[in-house]
Amino acid sequence: MSTERDMTRIVRSWLRTDEHESADRVLDHVLAQLNATPQRRSWWPARRIADMNNVAKLAIAAAAVVVVAVVGINLLPAGGGVGGGGPAVTPSPSPSPSPSPSPTPQPSPSPTTAAFPPAGALAIGSRHRVTGGGVPYSLSVPTSGWTSNGEWGIEKSAGIGPNGAGFILWPDETPTGVFADPCAILKSPPVGPSAADLAAAVAAIPGTDLVSGPSDVTVGGYPAKHVVLTFGKDADCNADGRLTGGEFYLWYAPSDARYATELGSTIRVWIVDVDGAIVWIDGETNKGAGPEPGLEIQQIIDSIQFE
Amino acid sequence: MDTDLVVRAQRGDKGAYALVATEIADRFLAVARRILRDMDLAEDATQHALLAIWQDLPQLRDPALFDAWSYRLLVRACYAEGRKERRWAPNLRLLPVDEPIANDGLSSVIDRDQLEGGFRRLSIDHRAVVVLHHYLDLPLDRVATILGIPVGTAHSRLHHAMRGLRAALDADARPPVREVAR
Repeated sequence: MSTERDMTRIVRSWLRTDEHESADRVLDHVLAQLNATPQRRSWWPARRIADMNNVAKLAIAAAAVVVVAVVGINLLPAGGGVGGGGPAVTPSPSPSPSPSPSPTPQPSPSPTTAAFPPAGALAIGSRHRVTGGGVPYSLSVPTSGWTSNGEWGIEKSAGIGPNGAGFILWPDETPTGVFADPCAILKSPPVGPSAADLAAAVAAIPGTDLVSGPSDVTVGGYPAKHVVLTFGKDADCNADGRLTGGEFYLWYAPSDARYATELGSTIRVWIVDVDGAIVWIDGETNKGAGPEPGLEIQQIIDSIQFE
Repeated sequence: MDTDLVVRAQRGDKGAYALVATEIADRFLAVARRILRDMDLAEDATQHALLAIWQDLPQLRDPALFDAWSYRLLVRACYAEGRKERRWAPNLRLLPVDEPIANDGLSSVIDRDQLEGGFRRLSIDHRAVVVLHHYLDLPLDRVATILGIPVGTAHSRLHHAMRGLRAALDADARPPVREVAR
């Protein structure tokens, strides 16, 4: 009588007794095609701080030694050397307050189990729960094509392209500071805790082009600061027209850092003050985006309801 | 896999990726050939997977997950090549049988042609689970992660695949249980 164990042994033996297979020919083809095969940069610009190389970590540690200089940089006026004059960008969403009514439910800023839509497509109009900064809220998407990565972001389409757009919703932790030297991955000391402090720091990140803000808006009925940034040639860490290799780092949370995806992309930041708890949301449209992706991002922001 | 190499490759270092690809290529080809049962298709799948890995590497958030992520791309490439294969494959489907195989002599005399035939009649879904689990020795929860399916589904696919292979081996001893797909 044959048993399951027999069958397993037979199949394993059959799978493993084969002639030698060499992939040399395949490898030659692949390596020959690398130069003509560009990498697809993810629009997901969050990266674990722990992933940084030792040089970057040392640079970050050195930041503590140059606190005075870094603070000096942070105190520069928002328009001082970084604002205006950038390349043409996607029309920014209107920073005017949304007509949401005053909230009646009490939010729960105390830590809760983080919620996030499971990985996959998001149905048009359906509401999806998210926890940001310990505060539960929900949002809906206005069109098809939006998907959740199941962890921290939703995006309109994968990869780089003018129709791409996406959000990082920071469900696990909230940014607490920005980078003083985005190319060197050199952090400024944490700022805040107010939304105004954080927004001011965002608006003054060296090498960015400030499109608008910080401005006062309303998200889900709560006051928020809104900043729109774009990235011109000053954000090109490699001076070669790409943001590959030396991504341009923007802001950081305890274990994550946000970097700009590509030259010419536009990032919109909403820092919402929900009864003292900070909910951070940032959306990005890609280089060459028409008005639609930015409009959809604003529609999603307008759909937010705090619980 | 050396995480530093992966990180360098993520940042566009072609030399680093050449080392990564060299390290995984033979294993990838072996896995692809076992799933697809055809060397030409396996070479194409491996080539497509290695290029897809290079292209999409910047999107891999955690370099420590490179192995599982890269196998997923390989299996996807096998699916794509398997779809090509279907145009020429016999349009037969093997129906699993529940009865145990009565022949105790399986361990000594294995009809490789029968096993090969039985395996070819499995779907790529089922083949992938068998190869990842029984060839690479990956536990089923890891197989499920690579394939993006629930663990229960991985168990179910493995179970059905093994029943199908048993049926193939038992083909001489009982009436054929093949049906022609319509």
